Amino acid sequence: MRGFDDDDKPLLLGRRVSPGIKIVVVIAVSIALMMLDNAHDSLSPIRGTLAVALQPVQIAAEMPGDVVDYLGQYFDRGELISDNDALSQQVMLLKARLQKLAALEAENERIRALLASAKALDQNVLIARILSVTPDPYQHYIKLNKGSADGVFVGQALIDANGIMGQVTDVTPLDARAILITDSNHGIPVEINRTGLQTIAQGTGKSDALRLPFLANNADIEADDLLVSSGLGERYPAGYPVARVAHVAHQPGEEFLDVVAEPTAHLNQGREVLLVWTSDSASEPPPQDGLTTDGAKPSSMEADAAGAQ
Amino acid sequence: MIIHNHVSGLLIGSTLAVGLMLSLLPLAHPWAMLRPEFYPATVLFWVLMQPLRVGVGVAWCSGIVIDVLYSTPFAEHGLALAVAAYVVIKLRELLWTFPVWQQALLLTPVFIAYEFVLFWIDGVAGVDVNQWGRWLPIATTVLIWPLLASILERIGELEVG
Repeated sequence: MRGFDDDDKPLLLGRRVSPGIKIVVVIAVSIALMMLDNAHDSLSPIRGTLAVALQPVQIAAEMPGDVVDYLGQYFDRGELISDNDALSQQVMLLKARLQKLAALEAENERIRALLASAKALDQNVLIARILSVTPDPYQHYIKLNKGSADGVFVGQALIDANGIMGQVTDVTPLDARAILITDSNHGIPVEINRTGLQTIAQGTGKSDALRLPFLANNADIEADDLLVSSGLGERYPAGYPVARVAHVAHQPGEEFLDVVAEPTAHLNQGREVLLVWTSDSASEPPPQDGLTTDGAKPSSMEADAAGAQ
Repeated sequence: MIIHNHVSGLLIGSTLAVGLMLSLLPLAHPWAMLRPEFYPATVLFWVLMQPLRVGVGVAWCSGIVIDVLYSTPFAEHGLALAVAAYVVIKLRELLWTFPVWQQALLLTPVFIAYEFVLFWIDGVAGVDVNQWGRWLPIATTVLIWPLLASILERIGELEVG
């Protein structure tokens, strides 16, 4: 077999550069880029542009799954009908509960006013579709079809019908990436609903387990306790269910309990998620005053009204 | 043989796009661990078969595409793929003389180098890397190589005649 002669390299800017020189340059540039990417956010415009350019490939890769879903729905009339029935029943139940909610909300507002505590903020909600789950099986990230163009911002919380799923970590103009609460690099401040005890639930890298590593041996916690978000850390809205304690074990000789909880959100099912944020969150400038401890003060009310106009 | 012929950039680009799609296809958990590295293998195939067109630089740019789609540290996969391409370039005279299934065996260290660079950078970046399953794609990529290489070669031959 004939080998190549002195010009057996690809052309670079009209010259043949040996692969040895190129690999050295590439390694140096890559390391510099990675450090830059790690230290600052300065590469995110480049990332954003490339991500938009690569959108077609992403969509094409999702297509087979979508087609199977669609055909499944198309052919399975019986399932559609039974789904429909179940959903209408659910709507009825939820509506019945909602009737009470309006009254409760008003009552809550009055009581809060009496206590002169911060007034509850309106929760904004945006529905997003899950585009893809990370192809890397060891990281729990999902990609959403809403990006900064739709008002998504880093830190926004993600919930589904059953509980908290995670938070947004990267945003490009057309899509966003979110970490799930089960990723091993993620922790969420929670409180035990029954007792109000505060702790942190860490991801384990398994999609059905969270760990509560900071509970002392005498902590009051039992299997089946509900953990709700405490809102500390100001990333997640308070009061949403996060997980249910699966088992509690006393480790002889250890100072902390070994507690495993199961997320209430259906992390690996479903295609839609809700992005929730309170009106005073990062994307919008916070009002100058008001929304503080005395929401009932006339001056701050005026400031709010002025801010709204 | 397509080594001495000029395969069009369009063909190379479209096989890369298909490889990328296969790498992105959503898979259920146990299968995702076994997914061969379709896209890197396609890039390395063209590095091997079109040395005048695809080299370290193109491999690096192709890797950055993965970084953007996976949101990994910028240029992580670029670096890994460039290193793998460099090894392929150094080994290519040897690789050309073997049939595809022997090529696959000879390429094992190349895929190991690729995964090792990723393992290293992930470790520095703070990802939990102590998962033996990380190394499974090496085996599946080596197994899929004969099939992948014959298909790509066939496509190339169809074009250049």
